[in-house]
Amino acid sequence: MTAANTESQPFNRSRQAREAEVMLDHLVDDFSDNPAAMAYFYDLFRRVYIQGERLDQPDAPQVGMTCIQAPEELIRAFGATPVRLCNGAYHYDQVGADFMPAKSCSLVKATLGRLHDQDNGVPRVGKLDLIVNPSTCDQKKKAGVMMEEMGYPVHDLEFPNVKESEAARVYWQRSVRDFAVRLGKLTGKRLTRKRLNDAMALTRRAQAAFRAIHNLRRKGPSVVLGKDIFLVTNAYFFDDLARWTEAAEALVAELRAREAAGFNAAQKKAPRILFTGSPPIFPNLKLPLLIEEAGGVVVADETCSANRMLYDMPVVDEWLVDHMVDSLADHYLKPCTCPIFTRNDDRRRRLLDLVRDFDADGVVYQAFSGCQVYEMEQRSVAKTLNEAGIPMLYIETDYSPDDMGQLSTRIEAFLESIKTRKRQRAGGQA
Amino acid sequence: MTRLRRAVNNVDLQRFRFWFQLAAFALLVYGGYLAIDLGNSLPMFSCGYNQEGRAGVCYLLPLQHQLARPWPQLFGWAGIGVLTGFGLFLLWFIVLNKGWCGFMCPLGTLQDWLTGLRKRLGIRYSLYGEKSFNTLTWVKFVLLALMLLIPLAIGGGFLSHDWGAPFCQICPGRVVLPLFTGDPAQLTIDYSSVGTMVLTGLGMFIAGLFLAGAFIKKRFFCFFCPMSALHYLIAKPALLKLKKDGDKCTRCGNCFNVCDMEIRAIADDLERQDIMTDDCTLCLKCVAACPEPGALRVEFARINIFEATEEGFLKRMNKGAGRDGCKH
Repeated sequence: MTAANTESQPFNRSRQAREAEVMLDHLVDDFSDNPAAMAYFYDLFRRVYIQGERLDQPDAPQVGMTCIQAPEELIRAFGATPVRLCNGAYHYDQVGADFMPAKSCSLVKATLGRLHDQDNGVPRVGKLDLIVNPSTCDQKKKAGVMMEEMGYPVHDLEFPNVKESEAARVYWQRSVRDFAVRLGKLTGKRLTRKRLNDAMALTRRAQAAFRAIHNLRRKGPSVVLGKDIFLVTNAYFFDDLARWTEAAEALVAELRAREAAGFNAAQKKAPRILFTGSPPIFPNLKLPLLIEEAGGVVVADETCSANRMLYDMPVVDEWLVDHMVDSLADHYLKPCTCPIFTRNDDRRRRLLDLVRDFDADGVVYQAFSGCQVYEMEQRSVAKTLNEAGIPMLYIETDYSPDDMGQLSTRIEAFLESIKTRKRQRAGGQA
Repeated sequence: MTRLRRAVNNVDLQRFRFWFQLAAFALLVYGGYLAIDLGNSLPMFSCGYNQEGRAGVCYLLPLQHQLARPWPQLFGWAGIGVLTGFGLFLLWFIVLNKGWCGFMCPLGTLQDWLTGLRKRLGIRYSLYGEKSFNTLTWVKFVLLALMLLIPLAIGGGFLSHDWGAPFCQICPGRVVLPLFTGDPAQLTIDYSSVGTMVLTGLGMFIAGLFLAGAFIKKRFFCFFCPMSALHYLIAKPALLKLKKDGDKCTRCGNCFNVCDMEIRAIADDLERQDIMTDDCTLCLKCVAACPEPGALRVEFARINIFEATEEGFLKRMNKGAGRDGCKH
């Protein structure tokens, strides 16, 4: 019997499980054409977040990651298991509020709240032998120290806040090499070419599956809804990699069949939305849910819980360990469009490219209140999109479900304005 | 057509280049035995000192000889000969652009083989770093200028003929390539005069550097090659082009990562469409390493012949990992 089960009520009756259940029920039951291959993911979230099921504990050290900048291939190459700790639960957001100032990012607070519940935090991944905390935004940096105070061993992975310069690149490569040394101490293993190569192959296969899904969403009719894809990428946080990849590949096969059949998962003239900004993490999928309940369809995203985590792929020129590690380091720095960087040219270019490639009609920009960097980039992103004639809806929100009514009105109005624009354009051309 | 295009974009470039370069090497270094003669205006180091085996002569050798003619001749009727030679050189060059470096040049191929040996020995290559790169990149233009000015000075009577064909004297190709046909005659220092002694001495030294450098840098010598500088100056009308679409580039730096010549612009420059820089050898490794469809592509006479695709990238990575990564 676990601690949670010995409490007065079983986990699945807790407020926390209810929060997940309400969201998952909406995601599943409010839509009629869910792909059959999504059943794996729905079931996974039900077991993990609602039943509070323990994930099978691997017979190896577990390394928690607080950011996508930590190279998961490296962790796996040392025989350890990476687990992504970024949390999306309002319940933990409230618990975590004790650690951070009132106006801080929900994601950071929820992550701390989840870690505070050492034994039973959901997802129940078991003991964390190390947490790697890339020094990205201020709140995550400070959160690392608090994790240490909670008793977790924390490795601060030094991350530059400029990515263009050679100095930044070299600094980051050294930082990643230091991380490899730490992992070596943790696991007692040596990094070999074979192990790193195997680990990279596993991730590459997962990335290829993600890209296949991504490509299937390029043009209408939409074969899949965005809310499902966020669930798929969220599962990547904690699911067994091989199992995840197989499930994702099964989804790809089904979506290909849908494409061949000309199937449309969205409404006929559903506005195509590009999602950007603070990452949607289950159970906080309220914005994608609201967009698609209101008749829009999220066709692509530029967030670190989906696209930014899985899209870019590293290259290796010479398969020698040192070069492979440096290549990995490059991959985790150079294409990254995180707002913690000094400049955001690449992020704005990436958004324009996604709008073009995915035929997006508008952009929804989510900023968690207290996430200063996303809040500050709103201006430049809005300007860039405005110049390109692409409407953008900026939404500042947090994990609380209180604003859902108000948000739903705003989103409906935004989608309606896009439809009107499209009608007028079509009329103008005729 | 689309199937052919797909097959081309999925090509295992490393293997293709290996066999292509091997064939070109055999042709240029041994073709002479089959009485093949491609003339003496070739835009790469098919070394003229490889007397028996060569299938044609590197243009730099006749160029230096021609420019060393007495000025009245050079600026008179003989000038026509110089111009015809250059015209022929230009015609050859235009076809492949710097692809002559990445696919045809025997000295380039030799460096790639040495790189293969280095990899087998598990030795890691090193980089210049941005600052040194930006300084050293001018060396080839200086060498080119000297290569043209010294013969002119000879023709004008300012220098003795002992300084003739100055670049050939210091070129590692002269020392190394004839060895492949069993001719060690160039492995000497010519003590007959100060000029020849300095030049051939330098030649021996640079040949040593060439061999040692190949274990430190990929394509160590090409960075300083005056032929490469000359190529760049006349590259505008060339048919083979390396193109970049900055809009599709994520600046992930994969292209820079694999670049033998350490060219940063390939990853960082988003404006320039014609992305071949002065140091480029058109080896096309960057295109093969790019996972963004259409971000990098190769055109021949404005026809798209090879472009970056996701499928091609994944295929090559999986193959590379299987071929080079799993042996140990």
